[in-house]
Amino acid sequence: MDAFLDLARADSLTRLVFFPTVACLPLLLFPRGGSRAVRLYLLAVSGIELALGLAYAARHLGPGGVFLLTRDRGGPLDWIPAWGIRYDLAADGISMPLALLTVLLLPLVVLASWRGIDRHWRAYGASLLVLTSGILGSLFAYDLFLFYVFWEVMLIPMYLVIGVWGSERRIYAAVKFFLFTIAGSLLMLVAILWLAWTYKATAGEWSFAYQDLLRLDLPARQQLWIFAGFALAFLIKVPMFPLHTWLPDAHVEAPTGGSVILAGILLKLGTYGYLRFAMPLFPHASAASRGLLLALALTGILYGALVAWMQTDMKKLVAYSSVAHLGFVMLGLLAADLVAWQGALLQMVNHGISTGALFLLVGMFYDRRHTKRFEDMGGLARVMPIFAFFLVFSTLASVGLPALNGFAGEFLILVGSYRSLGAWAIAATFGVVLAAVYLLKMLHLTLWGPLEREENRGLADLSWREVGLLLPLAVLMLAIGVAPAPFTEPSRPALEEALARYQARLAEPAPGEARLLPAFEPAVAATGPAEPGGER
Amino acid sequence: MSPADLASLVPELVLTAAGIVLLLADAFVPALRRLWTPLALLAVAGAVYLAWNLPAGSSFGGQLEASGVTLGFSGVVLLAGFLALLTSEGYLRREGILSGEYHALLLWCVVGLLLLVRATELLTLFVSLELLSLCLYALAAFHRRLPVAVEAAIKYFLMGAFVSAFVLLGVAILYGETGSTELPEIARALQAGPGSQPLATLGVLLLVAGFGFKMSLVPFHAWSPDAYQGAPSPFVAFLSVAPKAASALVLMRVLTAVSGGAVGGRWPDLVALLAVLSMVGGNLLALVQRDVKRMLAYSGIAHMGYLAIALVALDGGSWVPVLVYLVAYALMNAGAFGVVAMLYPRPGEEHRIDDLAGLGYRYPLLGGCLTVAMLSLAGIPPTLGFLGKYLVFLHAVESGQIWLAVVGVAASLVGVFYYLRVVYTLYMKGEQAAPAGLLLDGWGRLAAVLSAGGTLALGVWPWGLLRWMLDAVRGVG
Repeated sequence: MDAFLDLARADSLTRLVFFPTVACLPLLLFPRGGSRAVRLYLLAVSGIELALGLAYAARHLGPGGVFLLTRDRGGPLDWIPAWGIRYDLAADGISMPLALLTVLLLPLVVLASWRGIDRHWRAYGASLLVLTSGILGSLFAYDLFLFYVFWEVMLIPMYLVIGVWGSERRIYAAVKFFLFTIAGSLLMLVAILWLAWTYKATAGEWSFAYQDLLRLDLPARQQLWIFAGFALAFLIKVPMFPLHTWLPDAHVEAPTGGSVILAGILLKLGTYGYLRFAMPLFPHASAASRGLLLALALTGILYGALVAWMQTDMKKLVAYSSVAHLGFVMLGLLAADLVAWQGALLQMVNHGISTGALFLLVGMFYDRRHTKRFEDMGGLARVMPIFAFFLVFSTLASVGLPALNGFAGEFLILVGSYRSLGAWAIAATFGVVLAAVYLLKMLHLTLWGPLEREENRGLADLSWREVGLLLPLAVLMLAIGVAPAPFTEPSRPALEEALARYQARLAEPAPGEARLLPAFEPAVAATGPAEPGGER
Repeated sequence: MSPADLASLVPELVLTAAGIVLLLADAFVPALRRLWTPLALLAVAGAVYLAWNLPAGSSFGGQLEASGVTLGFSGVVLLAGFLALLTSEGYLRREGILSGEYHALLLWCVVGLLLLVRATELLTLFVSLELLSLCLYALAAFHRRLPVAVEAAIKYFLMGAFVSAFVLLGVAILYGETGSTELPEIARALQAGPGSQPLATLGVLLLVAGFGFKMSLVPFHAWSPDAYQGAPSPFVAFLSVAPKAASALVLMRVLTAVSGGAVGGRWPDLVALLAVLSMVGGNLLALVQRDVKRMLAYSGIAHMGYLAIALVALDGGSWVPVLVYLVAYALMNAGAFGVVAMLYPRPGEEHRIDDLAGLGYRYPLLGGCLTVAMLSLAGIPPTLGFLGKYLVFLHAVESGQIWLAVVGVAASLVGVFYYLRVVYTLYMKGEQAAPAGLLLDGWGRLAAVLSAGGTLALGVWPWGLLRWMLDAVRGVG
């Protein structure tokens, strides 16, 4: 406990993760209904959290602009020693970009909810902050038990955000979201238990530490079962076809802020988990099921695109486009190729930015007209030129127009996966074409054409607040699109290392019975006064 | 009976005496009624202190024992009793039935349970069970002007009387077969006996049925929804936890005693069957309930099913999962029934879940506590309910019963659905007018906060509790 408090005071991952949760407590002091003060407070908290995140990343960016593994200072703390469960956080080039995306989106979400959320602001703020802690904790957890706890902590606040502040069918959507997600994670729990028990049986001591479990080389059959438990949890989260049915419901019913977090970050935790846990822990099983998963990813890309094309509701269209985009990310991960992985990681961030922006724009229209249907739109470019500009910009980024961020990610994924997957990658390019079809259809139905609805004539264009929250996203889209290297290079060592280990494991067949591989020491950042990790 | 024997009974004696004092005081100075709850709480706190300092060892010629394990289970019983007393005050005042009998009966229930936990001899066990059961029947009917309460008590009594007969018959048969009523002796005799002992098997089966009934395992569960529905809600917080905890220990003792012998081979399969039936049956039946107390009754059946997973592969590693699970269960059930007792002002009517609509905003503290209780019951981290489930499942995986963990996980998925129904009714349904006639007293709020806070705090920092338990059960088979 004392050691934990010491950690929380220092410039540490612990502080980054728990600051939002701690910042919930003062919310109790605000009077009921004092929503303006609450909003300002939340904005301040999320701004501080963003600053903390950026400062941490800047401080630990190693020489040559690469981000090496940084363990939380002081090393792991014992949590439940009898079962080898430790409180252990670490950040590396794979988790840090997603963490930065999270802290970047948080203030934007608060701003975006400024008008849309009309009741229970204190509870809304607390949900957002706890959710942020859960996300960051899942990204940084280096102990599987801890990871599971954070993973589940994300669930409740998101459930509340959808269910309390959503639209008409919110309860249905919230319960569906919850049940789908927890179905996957409960099976993952059994898989974690089995994995840890096998480690105990093999190594003679309990451990849930990621580094320890990485050393476990399991027989093919057992690997497949445990992999299935993990993969199912992650693929539901992604969501991969055919497990995606919760997503459109959740997105359509969620308030704007909820949709942004859901699409921007929560979905990425599925792909992140697949890259971080499912592939390295069970290389043979993941290689064995690659064909099936590729087929599903490709189906997801094409199916998501086709269904998006058919939508009459703008938010649903964007939601289905997520299914297609995340299919691309999965394709990149399955390719097991450095360039494809870099692309996949970049695309996770890209999707968070551009889809986040699209959801924000849908929300802004909804705030004005309380509808998201295309039939109520049309010709908006004439009355809302700034809105139109940002919508076109974000759409083009999402389509993958060169010089915007989507292009960089998709290009890397396709180039990388063509090397190892060949025809699969070629088939996936149709997804890019389809994305252009349905996204341009969206532009057509919303912005161009005659202004048919009388109600739309008097619509106000974007306010300064709204421009202010879209502008950073637009700048990022352009920056990543023009110069992707500064955004991909910091993650390169972590990806290279993971890939090398993955391929080395695959080079040897799975053993007949569980055995321990020699300890593997990742390159640790040399910055920071305390040098943790090494002593264990 | 030596002074040392008597000294080993001090916690029970204190509670018994406190019950008698309360009963007499209620007759002679009824004006001081408001003091009974604090006095009873004081007695329970004193019993905790005395039980904590009780030296380990056996007394009364090996009929009672005191060890880390009995202390752990006694702790669960006392915790449940303490929280139930806290929530009772407001309920009894609101209903106008505050009197010393209630407190006295509850304290004597606790005495019966403490003895049940410590008994290693079957007749002592039976007498403790009867002491417990009679007090329970009376308490179930305590709101005697309510027809539902009387109906519930009669149902409970009829079934309970059968069970007492079962247990007694089981004891008699085992005595006839082995010539002893002491569990260690019985174990020795069974091990030395011939290959097949149908009568002894029948005796053990009767005991399992009897304590399975007290634990409300499927198929011995039918009484619990009716009894819970009619009985006073604060008392149900006790009824649904403490007798189950003590019965779990008795089952573990009996099964350990027979596991080595010729009648031992098939017991794990039987317990696994009970566990699966209870998990699946309890959760599926809870799913269709509209009454929150009936829902919690079926959820309790399911929870005993999870607990029984740890009883399938009985070894030294079973104690800690069972104990953690019971502590969690005591806290979350006290929270759930405590809040239900406060928010439903008409105990004679149905406790519809829909009546909670929007109350989470009107009563943020109680709503929050009920939510924590529900999440813990559903097994969502970082609550103690999650840790309990986790340890039970881990124990199953450890002993090679992965399939049981998978069934448990599938069953808890069903559970999530109906626990969430309470949460979304609290927060996502339209707000309604406050129910009339509520009495939200400080004691009740304290109970809700203690149980929710304990659930969360122990869920996040479990090591203190776990370390104590690991130490306590060290060296106990």
